[in-house]
Amino acid sequence: MKTRFFVIVLVSLFICGANSQTFIPEWFEELPDSPAGVFYSVGYSGKYQNQCLAREVAISRALSNMAKQHQVRLIFEIEEYADGRFRLLNPSFDLSYDESVLLNVAANYTPIDSSITNEGYYILIACPSIERRPHIPSNNKTWGEQPKWTKILPNSRRYSYGVGITSNYSFWVRAWKDTDEYARFDLGKNIEIEAESIHAVKRENKFITESKIIRQSYDLTLKQTLIVSRWYDRENDMYYSLCRQARNPAPH
Amino acid sequence: MKKLIVIALLIPLALMLVNCGGGKPKAKMVDIPEWYLNPPMAEDAIYEAGDAAKQSMGLAKEAADARARDAVARTIEVKVSNMLKNFMQESGIGEDAEALEFTSSVSKQVANTVLRGCRITKREMKTEGATYHAYSLAEYNLNSLIQETLNEAKKQKALYNEAKANLSFEDLEKEIEKLEAVGQ
Repeated sequence: MKTRFFVIVLVSLFICGANSQTFIPEWFEELPDSPAGVFYSVGYSGKYQNQCLAREVAISRALSNMAKQHQVRLIFEIEEYADGRFRLLNPSFDLSYDESVLLNVAANYTPIDSSITNEGYYILIACPSIERRPHIPSNNKTWGEQPKWTKILPNSRRYSYGVGITSNYSFWVRAWKDTDEYARFDLGKNIEIEAESIHAVKRENKFITESKIIRQSYDLTLKQTLIVSRWYDRENDMYYSLCRQARNPAPH
Repeated sequence: MKKLIVIALLIPLALMLVNCGGGKPKAKMVDIPEWYLNPPMAEDAIYEAGDAAKQSMGLAKEAADARARDAVARTIEVKVSNMLKNFMQESGIGEDAEALEFTSSVSKQVANTVLRGCRITKREMKTEGATYHAYSLAEYNLNSLIQETLNEAKKQKALYNEAKANLSFEDLEKEIEKLEAVGQ
């Protein structure tokens, strides 16, 4: 009877822990440099009973990541209203990419490497397809120390950067999808944003009421935006992605 | 026996609930970033800090970034206005009404339009109980501001010259009409 009790506890705990991500291939954490004219992209899926299905889902995500990498339209808007009594914050994010880009990518890619861990399936693809696959080992590893870019944005003449941060996700696959997208939006904000605001201070007897309206927005189409680094903060359950774009993107 | 199974099922369920409810030990906020209290000063850049405390980490980050950028946008208007005034004094135009109007028009155009290259260079996320407190530092390179101001000033000057030319042409036409009326 005691054995049955422990088995139930262990199985339940395993199910609880299966949604977290412990081991990852090296190229999931840091995207390797690709040969000139070739782009790499990472796809991933959670744990599936059927490995073929897991691979299919991972490839599909890698292809959509590659399409976003090539060209993505981002529409961002944030409004903040405050009048001393209430405060309203309303951000909106709209990301879209052209279906024809996705179809082109799907017709012209090469899987470079794939990896299976306890938590999921990972795949690295190259586009356009290449005849000779470069040797990029998976080398599954655990998350390293907190990288500097999570606190200080890299400064470079060649590249613009953006950082995406999310937390409190119950499933790592969804978390990384959102974190990568937020990193692209952050890059857009660093490139160009329209900023308007009205601030007013009203004094009545001893009371001061501060009111403000902030509105910031942009509508940009970005090309060749790569998610080059990821980091997971296990202690605080936070996900970080670093997005990079060359200041003068090469024609593709 | 049944009780044991129920307990066995309840333990992981309780653990899951604790996990979802944000009951994890949160780090206490002991230090506010130094760059938030004293933003860096530079001759060629504007630095402004912003912060926000929210239940959602994503919202805290977005609000802190927006407030830091808003502070930059408000600083720019004063900077541009001063920059243009200095420029006018140096070129000997002086502070007559027309020049002031021009200055104010250009500075408003620059401050209310787009911030190009305004980057969040530093960011820190602290937890205070169940609340996330985000701190952001925005940096805006003055070279891009100078370029933006020059472009706007050129645009305004072209519009001004065009208006002036149209006005003279209209005056000339009126004079011709007057002459024609006398001739008849």
